[in-house]
Amino acid sequence: MTKRSILIMMIVAMLAMFAVPMTIAQDDEDVTLRWRTRPDNQAEIDVYTAASEQIDAEWDGVTLVYEPGGTETEDYQVVLVTELEAGTAPDVFWIPGADIATFAETGLILNLNDLAMADEDFDASDFYEGPMGFLTTPVDEDVPDVLWGLPRDVSAFGLYYNKDLFDEAGLDHPEADWTWDEFATAAEEIADLGAEIYGFGMSAWWGPFGYFINAAGSSFFTEDFSACGLNNDATVEGLSFAADLYQSGIAFPYASDPEGPFIAGQIGMFMNGRWATPNVIANAGFNWDVATLPIGPSGEATNWLFWGAYVVNANTAHPEEAWELVTRLTDEVIQGQIADLGANIPSRQTDEAIELFLATLPDAGINNQAFVDGAAVGVTEAPLFTGNWPLIRDTYSDGVAAVLNGELSAEDFASTICDDVAGQFFD
Amino acid sequence: MDATLDYAPRTADKNWRNQFENLIIPLSILINQVVLVVTLSLSINILDLDERGGLFALIGGITGVDVGNFGNLGAAVQNFTGLLLLTPVLMSIYGSVRLYFRKQDGRYFSLLLHFASFAVCVVVLLQLWGVFLSFESVVDGIMEMPWVLLGIPLAYVLFWIAGKFSPVSQLRAVLEYVALGMAGLTFIGFVIFSDLLSSTTLIRLSQNFGVWLAIAGLLAFGIIGFGLLRMGDAFGETPDQRVAWQGWLMLSPNIIGFTLFFAGPLLLSFYLSFTVSRVGQTPVFTGLDNYRNITALEFAWYDPQAAAQPNKLAFAYGGLQEQFVWVADESVRRYRVNTVGYNVLARWDILDRTLYIGARDRQFWRSMGNTITFCLMLVPLATIPAVGMSILLNSKMPGMKFFRAVYFLPSVAAVVGTATIWRWLYQPQGFYNYFLAEITGFFNSVLGTNYADPQILWLNDPGVVLFSIVLLAAWQVVGFNTVLFLAGLQGIPRPLYEAATVDGAGRWKQFWYITLPMLRPTTFFVLTTTIITGLQVFNEPYTLFPARPIPENAVTSVYYIWITGFTRLELGFGYASAVAWLLFALIFLVTLGQFRVQGSGQYD
Repeated sequence: MTKRSILIMMIVAMLAMFAVPMTIAQDDEDVTLRWRTRPDNQAEIDVYTAASEQIDAEWDGVTLVYEPGGTETEDYQVVLVTELEAGTAPDVFWIPGADIATFAETGLILNLNDLAMADEDFDASDFYEGPMGFLTTPVDEDVPDVLWGLPRDVSAFGLYYNKDLFDEAGLDHPEADWTWDEFATAAEEIADLGAEIYGFGMSAWWGPFGYFINAAGSSFFTEDFSACGLNNDATVEGLSFAADLYQSGIAFPYASDPEGPFIAGQIGMFMNGRWATPNVIANAGFNWDVATLPIGPSGEATNWLFWGAYVVNANTAHPEEAWELVTRLTDEVIQGQIADLGANIPSRQTDEAIELFLATLPDAGINNQAFVDGAAVGVTEAPLFTGNWPLIRDTYSDGVAAVLNGELSAEDFASTICDDVAGQFFD
Repeated sequence: MDATLDYAPRTADKNWRNQFENLIIPLSILINQVVLVVTLSLSINILDLDERGGLFALIGGITGVDVGNFGNLGAAVQNFTGLLLLTPVLMSIYGSVRLYFRKQDGRYFSLLLHFASFAVCVVVLLQLWGVFLSFESVVDGIMEMPWVLLGIPLAYVLFWIAGKFSPVSQLRAVLEYVALGMAGLTFIGFVIFSDLLSSTTLIRLSQNFGVWLAIAGLLAFGIIGFGLLRMGDAFGETPDQRVAWQGWLMLSPNIIGFTLFFAGPLLLSFYLSFTVSRVGQTPVFTGLDNYRNITALEFAWYDPQAAAQPNKLAFAYGGLQEQFVWVADESVRRYRVNTVGYNVLARWDILDRTLYIGARDRQFWRSMGNTITFCLMLVPLATIPAVGMSILLNSKMPGMKFFRAVYFLPSVAAVVGTATIWRWLYQPQGFYNYFLAEITGFFNSVLGTNYADPQILWLNDPGVVLFSIVLLAAWQVVGFNTVLFLAGLQGIPRPLYEAATVDGAGRWKQFWYITLPMLRPTTFFVLTTTIITGLQVFNEPYTLFPARPIPENAVTSVYYIWITGFTRLELGFGYASAVAWLLFALIFLVTLGQFRVQGSGQYD
């Protein structure tokens, strides 16, 4: 056999190889949608995967591909941004509420308003008002009617407390209407229980210190969000109160993660969101519960309403299907399944959704109502349409860290911080 | 066996080969014309010349590629690529003409084109096959049958054993064939287990005309290119020339990789640094605006006694801002308003007045300041102990080889792993604070003093965080520097020390007048690499502070480039590129300065 014959046979064989599948080829008319969230752990990945499979099975003509993104520290956004630039980002993805403005202004997410208007089943009033307000904020005067997405879930802070330490110190457990004075006294008495015991702990990001500022009657921004709102006495009062806890050694050192020490039984009270609940249930070896945050000098209960939203990629090839996926992912059934994990609160404020949430984690016997109450009075996590939030946030955070670590007085902070960030607000 | 019978097939074989060789040159010229037409057509489409109609539209229509907005890269990159594609066009014309006249350079140009086209066909085929996009699933598929991987070491071992036999040995040939076969089977196993040959994939591929075109190109460029390659003798190729092209061929993977993944992005980032380039948007050329905005500073005095304060309001102070209009193009409106005004970078009370320094981009200056401070702390911590350790390791004490390995270990360990361990050590109740508390306690008990336990917040105290990163980085670099100094020490001639001993010089004088001056070239190298390492520090702050945002005092220049490019969407890649080139300029200047210093004081 000559080499030429071998060559010809090889080519014929190759043609035959492709010809066979060609004959059995069928047109595939299914729309494939890729979607992504940022789960915190494998349990969440499993729940979202099951939800995706359930929707996929119920929905003819559409195939869903669920892609769990990285966690907060694994740079979810970096991967997303890279894929958006490369044109390979998923059709539907989740972003934190605070990022909505940046993504909308940069033109990365689709305005879903027309699709929502055409959807008879959609009722914006089913969802928490705060997030929906921001999700319908226009970025362009010429396009006043917008809808940037729907909130996946919401969350609020609770005060996780170690019942055993409270009992050991002879203290009453926190009540719904307790005040800063009672809170400070309890923290001090628990800290006095031992050298390795702290009265209070919170993580070092804008949420926890923002609570002290809000509860004292101040605010990150002016009412119309056009400028910094921290140059007032209430800020001084709120931060001084928090700084005293840190300076006197009552609070666990700022910027060190207090979750581990709380679970190890070394911290009496630990301020964190609902997302911390599964870890505390799984690992805390003592009696504990959750209370609402104490009422500060403003005299009103306050909290944050954290949220994130499903948004649609501006370059999706299937906007109608993507919108339907967003509505299906945020319906009561799916939200109920996800809330069952214990990490999130449904983003729907309907009685049905709240009932579902209150019934979650029955075995743990924790005060779910504290989170619902917190969410009801929470200041909504705000995507800043009027300024450069990442820079403002970093400047605030550094200043507050200096106050809590005793390097800057609360007065000096309040009198200079607004100068420091003034350049970061738009005209 | 009859000798005549044995000879007959060889003649046929040779005839076939001669015929094939006679065909190679015309075929080669023909496929050069294919390359010419395709690249010219692509170039016309990319340069948007096809819209002018006539011949342009005709040639552009051959490939009919719609470049659209050219992957959001903008007109400059589009035109550059279009013009770059004229290079193969010119090479093809020149190569074909010279090949027709049987000139050696014509053969080389044609070979280059065939090789490049072959490589392009391979990449296109792999892309259509989905290998690049689904690399993860390919790896997953292979990992379901990881034992297939054993084929590679086995094949290697067989080949190695074969090499032990005589080159004319039959066994050697058999073993080599078995080894090659095993490697081939392993490769086929990879392909099968990687789902790349599943029926759905094959159906998709078989329906794609591009796949067939790529296979045809692969075969044509591969066979004809290989044929032309073997025709060296016909072109009077000298052994030197053969060695040269073989060398280039060996280098080609590296050259292609360097061009695509290093030189290309480098050029692109240089271009982007003059644009407003944000994710998902086409860059808009804005000249030097990025550089101007990054570096813009303003100085103003605030005098509480004076009646008029014209200056203090120029930057963000007292609620007023200066509005800067810095680009005319309306499409980048938001970018403009995002960066209005100056932020207070520093303020100093001097006598009764206050000096304000405003920066348009305060974080840039802070990150530069952090980086330079980091370098100033890192250099002594990573070099002075290295000299001492290298002298110690150069001694003849037992166990020194073990310690050399131990000291070198941190520099080869992955930063992510070591930084995680250091994060634990740095915890408020971690090992370092425990150690410091023990020392304090010891001194207090021995000396009767009453020093407080320092309780340093290594990762939280703004005044300490940078030093914490320096300690980690120094620990990693010092072992590497020690090995370099050790090599330097071993290169110092012994007679110098012997002569010095005879002259009565002690250990210290020998160190000062012999060791240090003789280590000068090593010291220069160590200083240069340590400073460059310091200026480029990224992994340490990135890993040491998993929560975002990290403390402002821990933000180094490269970290700032990263957050600007990927998390501050309103600034984006253009701005981040400009910061990167400013950092490059700094590194370049520092290194240049060091070369000058080194050159001016050569040890004689």
